[in-house]
Amino acid sequence: MKRPQVMIGAVIFLVALLIPVFLRNDYFLQVIFRLFLFASLGLAWNLVGGYAGQLSLGHAAYFGVGAYGLALLSPSISPLPAIVAGVVLAMISALIIGSVSFRLRGPYFCLATIAFTEVLRLIAKNLPNVTGGDVGTPVPSLFPRNTMVSFYYACVGLTIVAFALSYWVERSRFGYYLMAIREDEDTALSVGVNTARVKLWALLLSAAISALAGALYASLFLFIVPDQMFGVEVSVEIAILPMLGGAGTLLGPLVGSLVLETASEVFKNIFKEAHLLIYGVLVVLVVLFLPEGIVGTLMRKLSWFKSAPPTPFASTPSPGPVEESKRVPLPQPTSE
Amino acid sequence: MALLEIKNVSKRFGGLKAVSDVSMSIETGEIAFIVGPNGAGKTTLFNLITGVHQADAGQILFDGHDITRLSPDRAAKLGIGRTFQIVKPLRNLTVLENTMLGAFLHTSSPAVAEREAAKVLQFLGMTKAMHLPARGMGLPMMKRLEIARALATKPKLILLDEVVAGLPTSEALKLADLLKRLPEWGIAAIGGVEHVMQVVMKIADLVVVLDHGVKIAEGKPQDVVHRPEVIEAYLGPKYKELLKK
Amino acid sequence: MDWFYPFVQAILNGILTGALYALIAMGMALIFGVMRIVNFAHGAFLMLGMYATWVLFEYGHVNPYLGFLIAGVLLFAIGAVVYAGLVRHIPVQAEFMIILLTLGVSLISVDSVLLIFGADYHQLNFALLGRNFRMGQISLNAPWVISFGIALLAAAGLYIFVMRTMFGRAARAIAQNAYSAPLMGINIHRVQAVTFGLGAAAAGMAGGLLLPVFYLYPDVGHLFNLKSFLMVVMGGMGSIEGAAAAGLALGVIESLTSLYWGNEWALVVDFVIFILVLSLKPSGIFGSQRA
Repeated sequence: MKRPQVMIGAVIFLVALLIPVFLRNDYFLQVIFRLFLFASLGLAWNLVGGYAGQLSLGHAAYFGVGAYGLALLSPSISPLPAIVAGVVLAMISALIIGSVSFRLRGPYFCLATIAFTEVLRLIAKNLPNVTGGDVGTPVPSLFPRNTMVSFYYACVGLTIVAFALSYWVERSRFGYYLMAIREDEDTALSVGVNTARVKLWALLLSAAISALAGALYASLFLFIVPDQMFGVEVSVEIAILPMLGGAGTLLGPLVGSLVLETASEVFKNIFKEAHLLIYGVLVVLVVLFLPEGIVGTLMRKLSWFKSAPPTPFASTPSPGPVEESKRVPLPQPTSE
Repeated sequence: MALLEIKNVSKRFGGLKAVSDVSMSIETGEIAFIVGPNGAGKTTLFNLITGVHQADAGQILFDGHDITRLSPDRAAKLGIGRTFQIVKPLRNLTVLENTMLGAFLHTSSPAVAEREAAKVLQFLGMTKAMHLPARGMGLPMMKRLEIARALATKPKLILLDEVVAGLPTSEALKLADLLKRLPEWGIAAIGGVEHVMQVVMKIADLVVVLDHGVKIAEGKPQDVVHRPEVIEAYLGPKYKELLKK
Repeated sequence: MDWFYPFVQAILNGILTGALYALIAMGMALIFGVMRIVNFAHGAFLMLGMYATWVLFEYGHVNPYLGFLIAGVLLFAIGAVVYAGLVRHIPVQAEFMIILLTLGVSLISVDSVLLIFGADYHQLNFALLGRNFRMGQISLNAPWVISFGIALLAAAGLYIFVMRTMFGRAARAIAQNAYSAPLMGINIHRVQAVTFGLGAAAAGMAGGLLLPVFYLYPDVGHLFNLKSFLMVVMGGMGSIEGAAAAGLALGVIESLTSLYWGNEWALVVDFVIFILVLSLKPSGIFGSQRA
């Protein structure tokens, strides 16, 4: 059923795995590293934001916790356990953040996720004795030899894992429950879905992958600062990529990262300073004309590509004149 | 012992007492409807049973369990299925996938869920529409989909919230006949809130009349419908006088 | 009594800051109340207002206490155009889309300013800046007092406009029921465009008033964006009075936190309060419970 997307994904991964065989340019590999890193972050985000429709703008929290976990614990213990600890810490954060935020709906949920991540950022900034504060903290290298290539393969590997996980989720009862929650939580409750628990599980998985990505990223750059790991811009980038590609689809986060990261890199070289501007314009264009994302729109237009449940934003009318006659209930802050 | 027992249940919203000391019960094998004029508290009572709201006072027992404080998903797991008055399909999924959602209560395998859902849809005569997306379907189909989804959870008690509202009479009566056949599917009892009296008269074993949150009558439909207090509740005191004459 | 004067000083400083915060928050509350839009570009509007006022001062020698009005008008226009050209096309239910859209607008604004003016920090330089009003042991910075006074007037003006005029009534009618408002002859899009413009103008004016007492750089709006959310949620989404009260409260809380714990923790306290409010009373401290 979802074969076309899986096939395309497999091809992309195959190509990715073969690239270092032919190309040993470190700069180039680093660009693709970043591309796949954000693809894995996007895939992680997609579990919560795409399938479950809980649009988090705070995923940098787990990214950063994973990174800082490795950085701060590894003087005392070796890198691998430090990474595991980082993942565990990220999942604990997810438990806390989720329990509070998931009781909120709509924009309140969004704002809550932002607030929590900001708190983490500020804590990292304000405790220089622990985290190095604004100055930052060093991170051990996971692959002291054959560095770039090793990181590259680790990253592609992580993305493949995230992709496989998404594929499994899509075809499981868990995935159906996530999509039901996205479409209508009351309906889901009425058929026995413990929506709070399902959402938390999705967030835990999401946080774990994000934390791994964070640790990997931090280790490549050997030094991290709070703004770089916990900044709102990071959370926004993590969310925008799958949205551009198609939230709630399997291939979406991958495609989104491919397109946007490549464009971003090209812009950085051509336009230098103006790349954020172009980025902003791209965001606006996507929102106005491609709300379902690239893959989502393709799924709607091409029947052979179709058959998997489409994206959440397809449930809102496609852009056009606002239907003023739509009665909008006052957004309630909680599910009550 | 009754399958569903509601004992002295009350609920207020701010200053308004929506449901006031209401008691009723539904026996196994019964089809019961709660009726009453607008604002009578029917939907509130409905929501109290299904766990959407929590009662301020009183007790609700289902199949021996105390469900007074239960959340909607726990109620569903205990065997209470419900439909929504304003239909709530999962718009981006197909009819089959919508129904599968209910079937997942008893299995974690999508293949099994699909089989079970297909069976339910066949029973409801919806096989042709199985792979159509849920959005953009006509109201009669949507209403059946609501029932399909609830049926797929294999409930003991199914609660229908104004299930024929908005349907043309012919469709409503067709649906009523279908409801009468639900026991074939293993449903022990059917409860509902209803406005359309034709359906109520046709299939109900028990009718409970609410007005302003209070139960004013209870019994077989033919008996209840003629009672002066019931007519007064619907039509106003004038008609009660007319009847006396 | 050693603690007394610093304490009072902090409270007064907090109130001075609070008025400005109130103006900013009211702008966002207006937009959210009428249109259910969470405007992530609010901080950017403030920043643009600040830069506009600065440009007028540097190149036109316009006193910022006059320039802020021009900034307000400019931002009104920008806001109305952003609404009419972009926001209007997204259905209100697609909340996340609107958030992303306004984020995009924010990115575009910030980067444009960065390109045109560079990343340097700027600070205003004129005679008034060093002056202080002294009352015994309490000293209040003159520009702050003036900004405070004007902000208070602007906030009051905004409040009166929304509550008393026909336009304000129309806006509130839409806020209550977007379905039936057109049935009463209200042109939704026009009212919403004006409302959005007003919200932006409030942010722009606040930016102009902030210029004499703060430093200017392209990303200055980011901080105020986050604080605006906090104030609007605290005050009860959509409640202008609530947002104003929350603004004053926040100014005082931050000031006291800075006094006792140091500047860095002020922002942390902000967010902890935010999270507490969201967890315990999401409808806002000053908001009413809606059934």
